[in-house]
Amino acid sequence: MGGVVGFLLRRACWVVITLWIVYTASFILMRNVPGGPFDSERKLPAEIQKNIEARYNLDQPLLTQYFDHLGNILFRGDFGPSFRMTDFTVNQVIAQGFPVSASMGIFAITFAIVLGTLSGIVSAVRRHSVWDVSFMTAATLGIAVPNFVLASLAIVVFVFQLQWFPAAGWGSLRQIILPALCLGAPYAGYIARLTRTGMLEVLGRDYIRTAYAKGLGERRVVMRHALRGALLPVVSYLGPATAGILTGSLVLEQIFALPGMGSHFVEAASQRDYPLALGMVMIYTCLLLFMNTMVDLSYAMIDPRVKIETQ
Amino acid sequence: MHPSIRNAFPYIALAGLFSALAWAVSFGTLPPADFSFHNGDEVKTVDPALAYGQPEHRVLTAMFEGLYREWPIGYEMDEQGNVISEPEPDENGNYPVGSAPGMAESHELSEDGRVYTFHMRPGVKWSDGSPLTAHDFVWSWRRTLHPETAAVYGYQLWYLLGAKKYTEGRVEVGDLVEIEMPNRPRADQPFPRGDIHRAKLLGIARPREVRPPENASDEDKEALKATWRSGWVYIVDHAAGDTESDSEPTKIAAYSKNIVAGDWQKYDTEWLDGKKPASLPNKPEKCKQLLLDFESSVGVKAPDASTLVVTLENRTPFFIDLTAFYPLYPVNRACVEQYGNPNWTRPDNLVTNGAYTMEFRRVRDRMRLIKNPAYWDADRVKLEIVDAMAVKSATTALNMYLTGQLEWVTDVPASVIPDLIARPEKDFIPTPVLIIYFYRLNTTRPPLDDVHLRRALNLAMDKQLICEKVTQGGQMPARSIVPPGLPGYNSPLCGEFDVEAARAELAKSKYAKLPGGIPKIEITYNDNDTHRAIAEVIQQMWKNNLGINVDLKSLEWTSYLDAQHTMQYSVCRAGWVPDYPDANTFIDMWLTGGGNNETGWSNAKYDALVKQAAEEPDPDERLRRMEEAEAILMDELPIVPIYYYTGKNLVSPKVKGFFHNALEKYPIQLMRIEE
Repeated sequence: MGGVVGFLLRRACWVVITLWIVYTASFILMRNVPGGPFDSERKLPAEIQKNIEARYNLDQPLLTQYFDHLGNILFRGDFGPSFRMTDFTVNQVIAQGFPVSASMGIFAITFAIVLGTLSGIVSAVRRHSVWDVSFMTAATLGIAVPNFVLASLAIVVFVFQLQWFPAAGWGSLRQIILPALCLGAPYAGYIARLTRTGMLEVLGRDYIRTAYAKGLGERRVVMRHALRGALLPVVSYLGPATAGILTGSLVLEQIFALPGMGSHFVEAASQRDYPLALGMVMIYTCLLLFMNTMVDLSYAMIDPRVKIETQ
Repeated sequence: MHPSIRNAFPYIALAGLFSALAWAVSFGTLPPADFSFHNGDEVKTVDPALAYGQPEHRVLTAMFEGLYREWPIGYEMDEQGNVISEPEPDENGNYPVGSAPGMAESHELSEDGRVYTFHMRPGVKWSDGSPLTAHDFVWSWRRTLHPETAAVYGYQLWYLLGAKKYTEGRVEVGDLVEIEMPNRPRADQPFPRGDIHRAKLLGIARPREVRPPENASDEDKEALKATWRSGWVYIVDHAAGDTESDSEPTKIAAYSKNIVAGDWQKYDTEWLDGKKPASLPNKPEKCKQLLLDFESSVGVKAPDASTLVVTLENRTPFFIDLTAFYPLYPVNRACVEQYGNPNWTRPDNLVTNGAYTMEFRRVRDRMRLIKNPAYWDADRVKLEIVDAMAVKSATTALNMYLTGQLEWVTDVPASVIPDLIARPEKDFIPTPVLIIYFYRLNTTRPPLDDVHLRRALNLAMDKQLICEKVTQGGQMPARSIVPPGLPGYNSPLCGEFDVEAARAELAKSKYAKLPGGIPKIEITYNDNDTHRAIAEVIQQMWKNNLGINVDLKSLEWTSYLDAQHTMQYSVCRAGWVPDYPDANTFIDMWLTGGGNNETGWSNAKYDALVKQAAEEPDPDERLRRMEEAEAILMDELPIVPIYYYTGKNLVSPKVKGFFHNALEKYPIQLMRIEE
């Protein structure tokens, strides 16, 4: 266990350094983009412009702003007020948007894992069967079709034809299903292909032949002996998949009118809402680093050959 | 790693997955709303002083109420809210909208049209039960006008005497000023809370101005100037804590917002009547703000709790309509002061005075409004729970409407407009709104200096075709600069599309006989697909119908504004959104040398008519003067109107009390559901 603790400590150090670099780079990039948060078509009088800037501390030298803002985050966990949604602080915006994005993400990734691994296993075990061909065609389609096209089709079929789900909005289980399925579909496709490839490779191994030779049934061999090895590529894919699901929800949030974080991410940047954009970047960075750490850990758990290095 | 951990891992992972899933699908149930509508983009703020934009307008008019409130002209209800009489729509489907008494019961207007005396409605209350008085309006307007509030729409109050000067922080020697000391309980509160005392301004000492470097940007120059101004020293006849006396100055004091090193007495100083006081303090004292004295010099006063006296700079016939507009709504002083900015706008804290209060708010999801039982007219408000849905995509909103999730959609995708108009439910009625798309013609450049040629250009333009084939959003071809829909105002129209008449006009032009033909015209527009498409169609029309060669020039936004402002164009596309619901906002921009004229056009008779209208006490006569003025404009055509924008409201047939109008004012408190 000591190895795990050491690994986590060292990882934590790197996380802190990475976060600082990401913060600094984002801060510099954002302040160098032309235009400011309070630009509008109707030009404000210079006095009023100055007052607004003073209220949001924007009249200070850039370096002072940088240290003030960073200090507030570090010591108070406060990302400051949102410049555009002036009734809210960045923390409040994140507190409201995060559960929505997380719910949808968890649902989508669960769907992707369950559907992907099952169809992958079936395809590998029944290679060249009708099942294999249809699953793999579906997987290829799922990867190739952009999720807004998928969403439009899903709305036409499930909302207007079958009337199973509401068109959009947030607040009930029925409202989460359609967007989560559309979000998870391409990842289900990838996972299916990865599982199939992994499974085929493992099924050709000597120890599987031995297992069969011992007289074990197919179900037992596949589920107990082959699956563990076959899932390794899938586990390592979960890190980037989580990243993709979190950042890829923007379009679906618009189509299904979901109050998640994806829209904030893009709009904060385009509207020059500096604190909100920084807050979003930092949240996403934290999530990614956390997921990657979890993936590394579980990799070591599943595969006995992987050792967590203590040095 | 211990094998037992390894063996347990799949179960741990599964358990984790299931608990995450259980969390993800756990939802609190929400009682359904009586009425849900598409409010467009997320509301930026519900602070009436800071808000601007349509989504804000819709929720603010539901939650707050001004001295007057938006009301369809001729709409009457009995005490229980049963409709007695409904107005009639005009031929475009628009209803006349005006103002009805709200927080004020009535008002009187002085002879010169500048002093309004409002009588507050007895017994009106805030949603927390506290009484609402005239003092609330004085405090709220002062907050809106205070420079640190930085209200974008603050200029809607600049019709008040001294209000503009107060906001801009301009003071002159001899003025009564208010000096706020730097002792606010919370420095970030953008309204005065420190100790304030009044004094007469005796002199202003200005340090030497630092010259900006040659290559400094405009912003840097502005910033430098602002810093310089903050270092000014103001000499007044009373110090803080000093008792005020009208007769004899007791103690001369000096204040500055930014104390700079150096002897301020060597500054270049402007003294009242050129008189320098005998003794002066060595160092100025620091103050937070020094502004025109609000109480004595800005035109709003509450002589008692039930009377509000408003004094305007000039006669402003649409001022009553302005009092129904959200920048002039009152806010609850106790609430703002207790919770501070912006926390007072949180649903738990917000105190309102209108038909609704806010129950909760979820960013980018919805704002739930519930009926305010303390509202004076609550008996006639029928919808108990209203959801303002923040749905950005018009397509999504349409889907939600079609599946019964919304009762009112405020914007629809342009591509489906023909289908919506054809619906048997007749729930989509595009009516003109007060926004105009037009072309400016530079009347100082040949050949556009010739009125016959300008008329020919207008006559040769098939605006119907542009609306039907190019913009396709249900827009209406325009023949006047003032869009239809303003009560009592009838625009005189310019010529309709007629190729023969256009050629006849062209023949009268002095350029028709030029040996080299008519000089080329260039259409300038800001880079945008629709603007380009329209310009291309017009280019073809002028070429085919008149034989005039036209070039197109696309500019990026700022360059386009600059070209227009400096009149480096011959024909330039433009649009105009009114500041206030009155024809004047479209008419007075064409005065000789007006800031937004930008065509070089000048007509003495037009100028005289607009001036007469401004001074005319009779409201009908005033409109007639403006109509006469517009007739001149539509005859001489320094601008060619192209189309009026249309409202895109899709309203469920079961919603009653919804009146389409050109001002896009739809009070939710009038709406009701009848199955």
